[in-house]
Formats: sequence, C-alpha cells, structure tokens
Amino acid sequence: MTQTLRRRAALGTTALAGLLLSACGTGDDGSGATTITLYTSEPQEKIDELLADFAQVEPDIEVEVFRAGTGDLTARLETDLNAGDPGADVFLAADAPTFEGFKEDGLLMELDSEELDAVPDQWQDPEGQYVGTRIIPTVIAYNTAEYDAAPASWQELTEAEYDGQITLPDPAVSGAAAFNAAVWYLQDDLGEDWFADLGGNSPVIAESNGPVGQSVAEGSQPVGVVVDFMMRDLHDAGSPAAVSYPEEGVPYIYQPIGIFEATEEAEAAQAFVDYVISQRGQEYAVEQNYLPVREDAGTPEGAPRLDEISFMEEGLSEITEVQGEALDAFDSTVGG
Amino acid sequence: MPSTRLWEAERALPALGLINAGLWLFCLTVVLVPLGTVALYGLASGRLEELAEPEVAAAAWNSLSSAVLSGALAVLIALGLVLVIEHTRLPGRATLRILALSPLLIPPFIGAISWIGLFGPSGMINSAAEGLIGRPLWSIYGGDGVILLLALHAYPIAYLLLTAALARIPAELEEAARASGAGSRRALAHITLPLLRPALISSFVLVTVSNLADFGIPALVGAPERYETLATIAYRFVRSGTVDNSVELAACVGVVLLLMVAAGMLLIRRFSRASYALEPSVSRAAPLALKRPWLLGGTTWAAVLGITALPLSALLIQALLPAPGMELSWENLSLGNFSSVLESPWAAEGTQLSLSLALGAALITGVVGLAIGTVMTRTSLPGRSLLRKVSLLPLAVPGLIVAVGWLLLAPHLGLYNSPWLILWAYVMSFLALVVQAIEAPLRSTSPALEEAARVSGASALRAFSDVSVRLALPAAAAGALLVLLTAVRELTISALLLAPNAQTLGVAIFNLQQAGSYGSAAALSVLVTVAGLLGMGLITRRLHTR
Repeated sequence: MTQTLRRRAALGTTALAGLLLSACGTGDDGSGATTITLYTSEPQEKIDELLADFAQVEPDIEVEVFRAGTGDLTARLETDLNAGDPGADVFLAADAPTFEGFKEDGLLMELDSEELDAVPDQWQDPEGQYVGTRIIPTVIAYNTAEYDAAPASWQELTEAEYDGQITLPDPAVSGAAAFNAAVWYLQDDLGEDWFADLGGNSPVIAESNGPVGQSVAEGSQPVGVVVDFMMRDLHDAGSPAAVSYPEEGVPYIYQPIGIFEATEEAEAAQAFVDYVISQRGQEYAVEQNYLPVREDAGTPEGAPRLDEISFMEEGLSEITEVQGEALDAFDSTVGG
Repeated sequence: MPSTRLWEAERALPALGLINAGLWLFCLTVVLVPLGTVALYGLASGRLEELAEPEVAAAAWNSLSSAVLSGALAVLIALGLVLVIEHTRLPGRATLRILALSPLLIPPFIGAISWIGLFGPSGMINSAAEGLIGRPLWSIYGGDGVILLLALHAYPIAYLLLTAALARIPAELEEAARASGAGSRRALAHITLPLLRPALISSFVLVTVSNLADFGIPALVGAPERYETLATIAYRFVRSGTVDNSVELAACVGVVLLLMVAAGMLLIRRFSRASYALEPSVSRAAPLALKRPWLLGGTTWAAVLGITALPLSALLIQALLPAPGMELSWENLSLGNFSSVLESPWAAEGTQLSLSLALGAALITGVVGLAIGTVMTRTSLPGRSLLRKVSLLPLAVPGLIVAVGWLLLAPHLGLYNSPWLILWAYVMSFLALVVQAIEAPLRSTSPALEEAARVSGASALRAFSDVSVRLALPAAAAGALLVLLTAVRELTISALLLAPNAQTLGVAIFNLQQAGSYGSAAALSVLVTVAGLLGMGLITRRLHTR
C-alpha cells in the first residue's frame, strides 16, 4: 500500500469511529428523569406527537420508543424473553389475544389506575392486566373519484359492480386481519358463504393495511377493506378517499396497553398508561384520527360517534377457536 | 492448465499462517457463532418436523426456483448491459452506467410498490392497455412477477462484478483474434465470453443466494396469488400471531435455507473451477466496433430507461403529490413531502446512523473480504475454500433470522441496544459480496507475478501483500461499494436490532410507508436514490480512471 492510501485509510477509520461513537452516545443528559422503554406498533409520527404531549403532563418521565411492525415486535419480545426479561416496560400494540398470551405466561402486572373506570368493561381485561387504548375498526374504504356512494354493507361487496375492484389485507400474514376473518366467519349473515361470494369478485389480497390504503387512494383498486384511521389520514392529506361503516357492524380491535411485571420503573410506566387512557390522552388520540375508548373524548372529524357504530362483538375464546377454520375457509374461497 | 497453487513451502511460513488463523477466527466469531446460535435455537426447539407440511415444501420449491431463475435472468441482463455499456463506445455511457446501477439503491419493498403501480391488475400500464387492446398487458402478481422483480433488483450486483472482470481481460487477446481474421462478434464469442465465465458463475451464485433471502418482493408481489417462499413463510409464522413461539419456527426455516445453500454449494463446485489463467495486463480491452451504433444505443437506452427510470418516475410522482390519488397536475405538485422529510428528526438521525453503519460495514468487509479472497485464490493455505463457503452462508438467510441470532447473543456480548450489534450483523451478512467479487478475477489470473516477485527475492509475505493483495484491490473496492449501497438502505436486520429511539434509513422509509405516509416514504426513497447515485457517480468515475 502506498503512503497516501494508508493515510487515507487511517483518516477514514478515525472519521468512522467518530461517527459511530456519536451515533452510540445517547448519554445521560436527563437530570433525575426516569426513563421507561415502550414497544409499540403505532405509526412513528403519531407516537412522537403523543409522547410530546405526554412530556407536558409528566416532564420528568422520558419514554424511549422501539417502534416496529407487530411481527418484528413479537420476534424481538420472544428473543428478549429467551435471554431474560423483556427489553421494555410498556407494550402498546396488537390485539387482546396477544395480551391474553402475555397474561398466560405471567408477563404482565396488574394496572392500578382510576382512569380504568372510564373505559367500558368490554374494552379491558377483567383482571386489570391490560386495557384498550384506541378502537380500530376495519371498514370499507372507497375512492371518491371512482364511486359516488360507498358500499353500505359487507354483503354489497359481493355484487357484480365490484368485480375486480376490491383489495384487502392478507389474514394469513397479519394478525389483525386474521382476527377479522374469524369475526366475519362467526357472523350468521356472513360466514363462509360470504367468503365464497366475495371470492367471486376476485379481490386482490395485499400484504397488509398499508398497501390496501395506498391502492384505494390511488384508485388502482378503488374499494378496500382496511382500518378506518388510515383512510381518514389520507382523506385529510387530500386523497380522494372515504370510509363507510357497514350496516352489519364492524370487526375491531382495541389496541391494548400493558406493563411488564419485570419493570423496574412501575410508577413511571403506570403514569404513562394513565395518561394514554386519560381524557387528555384520549382527546389526543381523537385528534390523531383514532376512535377513543372513552365516551367523553369526542370523535374524529368525519367519523361517527362511538354509540352510533355497531361493533361485532365476539368472545375471545370463540375467535381463537375458529381462527384456524376461518383462515382455511378464507384461503379456499377468497384466496383461491 | 497452470496451477494456481503457488508456494509449496508456505505452510511453514508463520506470517501467512497467522493471517489465515486470524481470518478463521473472524469468520468463527462473526459468521459461525451467530448463525450457529440461531440454527441451534431452531433445532433445539425440536420443531423442525412441524415444517414437514405441503405448504412449506411448495414454498421451498418456490424459493429455489425463483432464486435460480432470477439469478440466471439477472446475470443475463447484466451481461448484456455490461457488454454494451462497458465494451463499446456508445454515447452517454457514463449516464447509462449510473442509471443501470440505480435499482441497488431503492429498497426492494419500495421498488415493488412502484412496479405494482405500473403493472398491477389496474396499474397505469395495464389500465392503458385495457383501453388500447381491450385487455391488461401482464399482471405482475404471482411467481413470474416475483422472478422478474428479483432479477431487476439484483442485476446491478452482477453488473459490478462483470465490469471488474471485463476490465481484467487483456486487450491483446481480442486484438490477436481480430488480427487472425475474426470479426468483433467472433472475438466476443470465442475470447471475451469464455474469459468472463468465472465472473458469470460467481455473480450467479451471489445473486441466487441473496435472492433466496429476499422478503419484500415475494411478500408484496407473490402474496396476492398465494405465492409463498421460505422467507415469506418465516415472516408469516412470526406475524400471524397464530403460531406459539413463532421465532423458533422461523429459526427452523433458517436451518432449511442453510441446508439448501450447503447442498447448492456442493453442486456448483463442479462448475466453478477456473478454466483459464490470464497474464495480468495493463492494457484495456479494445471496445467493440459497432456497425450500427445508433440502433444498439437506442435499444439500450430504451431498455435501461424502461427498467430504471420508469419505476423511479412513478416513485417521483408519488413523492411530489401531497397525497396519493390526487390528480396529476402542475397546481397539485408540491415539494411538501420532501421538506417534511428533510425537517423530520428521523431522517437526519437515520441518515447519520445508516451512513456510519454502511461505511463501517463496507470498510470491514472490504478489508476482511480482500484478505479472504486473496488467501482463497492466491495461496494454498489449508481450509481456504471452506472459508469462502462460510462467508456465503449468511447471505441466504432472511434478515429477520440473522437478527434473531445476534439478538440472542447480544446480552452476552454486552451489545444489546448498541449500534455495534447492527454493524456486526451487516458485516456478517454482506461479507460474501466482497469475497465473491474478488474470486472470479483473481482465480483466472496466472501466478506468474507472484512467482516473479519470489524469484526477485521477495519473501512470501511480501509477495502476498505487494502482489496478490494489490491484484485483488480493484475487485475488493467494487465489492465494498456493493456493501455500502446495500447496507445504506437495509431494512430487515436493523428493524429488529435497533435501540429504542433510533432508526436507520430503511426502517424510516418502512415506518413512513406503514403509517400511510406514502408520499414521504417515496420522497425519502428518492432522496436516498439520488444521493446514492451521485456518490456512486463519483466513486465509479474514480474506479474507471484509476
């Protein structure tokens, strides 16, 4: 190697080490602040905003976020547990069945919050180990440039008018979509027959909610089965998109929050959970286009009030029981 | 056939032996231990037999066939482009070269989404075709789309490898053929192509193995037609929430992939023996004479623009519209997505982290890969070909599974939530890019230079460092460039290994996309691509003028 090359390499290495060190240095700049770690699948921008608001309520608690899709979160948590304790204090993601799994493994601690009383019973764990934070229904979204009126019911999606126009997330891949498939499967007026009729319209099975929202907004598949808040976000940004809450009712999850038993900062973690389900936290959720879990937090612009929506209520045990069957039925009809 | 084994006595040489031992130690700690950890984790769960399902068998077949076919297709595309762009005097070659390499910089899942916008059932092109010929042209969904997109995303790897190999073919050979009366075409077919064979094979191996692990493309393009690969099955286990301890099962899928690659390596060994040894030359191969340069030039421009600029412009449109589905008109276009991305703290921090990680990974893999590649091709040290195979293994394993291996080790290494963890995972995953880049050109270079150095009195170590390593340097630089470009937009490994409150560029783009901020995701991708293309323009110019 020539001198110059060697010098250049040395320079490069030094610069690099500097960069890496600066990337490492999160540092203890907080003065006496408590830090908790949150695992969540909330969209990055939404969780950033929420935490900024939380910082005003509890300036002495710093929340560090590991944000990832539900799958990566599961993988990270499982691997954490294999090596010892969860790498987080608080978990805000997924659905009740996921938290039931945590509960069975004895991972969660009992929540101690007066705010729990403001959340209806069906949206929290009877033993108080987790509580819902946002109501996320799956609805029918449509492109307003392509259609004047929304399909008013799930049944209507099977009409010839929508042949080749529909897209929905893959229940085999997404936990939330699998949950929905089980709920539809359990409905007397929908069930396997509805799957078969829907399959007749050859819907495009997309990987997850993200691509569904995009193709509805772009109009490449102008009708989609997708979570409601995402379409309100797109509508607000200017996309020709709107949602309809089908008259038979909507399947939904309530995205629970819970605290891991292994936490060393139980008090700070509890304060964060309190905030999330408090009136202020819930009003903030509404501002972020989510349906809240409390009646006193209002409703997002353009969305119906909670008491105007009919929710498909099914027992967790029933859902878990039929999930396999429902996925098979979906696969052989809609997916086939 | 001259032997490439050089010095009979070198086993006795402590210095080279020390280098070899060091390389083995490196591969053991950075490759074999994490890979072994995740494989053991899978095997120890005793759940390997749960994979004995028809759907897994079908996915294994899809993985194998899509990887092999896309590997072959990528090499063909790259060969065609390299011959036209690097072996002729076509106008605008520098621009063509940069454009042709651009797919490297676009994260595969973003690339797949822009192709879906064009060739989805109601995509732009299919809707246009519906109007013109009454039926859609071609739907991208399904196995054929997966293979095509995998090939279009991976051919730049083969392009860089083939360019490096082409530059090593001495001009005298083609000149001799032409002086003996052969036309350009004949000289190409009988001289140049056979001499490129080792590079064709090593780029085919590299592309095929890395396509085995790709997740984004089969997930987005295969899923609508229920086309699954082992990589998508591993993710499905983890994401569906219906499988208990799903990571164990994903690790078992990793074991299956490793077995597939090991079997493949045994097969490929029969073909990869070098058949020619070239004398090193300083003269460059003379460009091909073209009878109709404009015809070939026009075709090439059209092809390159079609496979790169078309999806890039779809991405650009998406980035310039405030929200998807808004009418494409001058009043609607805005730079809002770009400014919001540039202002967000994530983009700046993500850029810093990704750039540091990518530079670090390129530097380490460059140096270690250079050493492995040189030892492997220029010495007869024990275990040298095994070293190459070991370095290739992690490439076949999806990022999720690689990351689980490192995450299991992290607490023991004291690296949990540390960026160094991601750096080592990158080094492990991308080492093969450098090793493979070096293999072909060096294997086909005759040992005459080292022999000359030894005859002139240089020690074995001196001959190794001043001759062999220097011969390998340009190829190692090309390999390191590949690592840099791949790592800077990497997603699946960092998604799992990041510390709280940190993001890499790939993760930042993915997060935006998932949150429905398609415009911002597209804007950030465009920025990464443009910055990468500019950087690449500078680097490749240097490589070419050296």
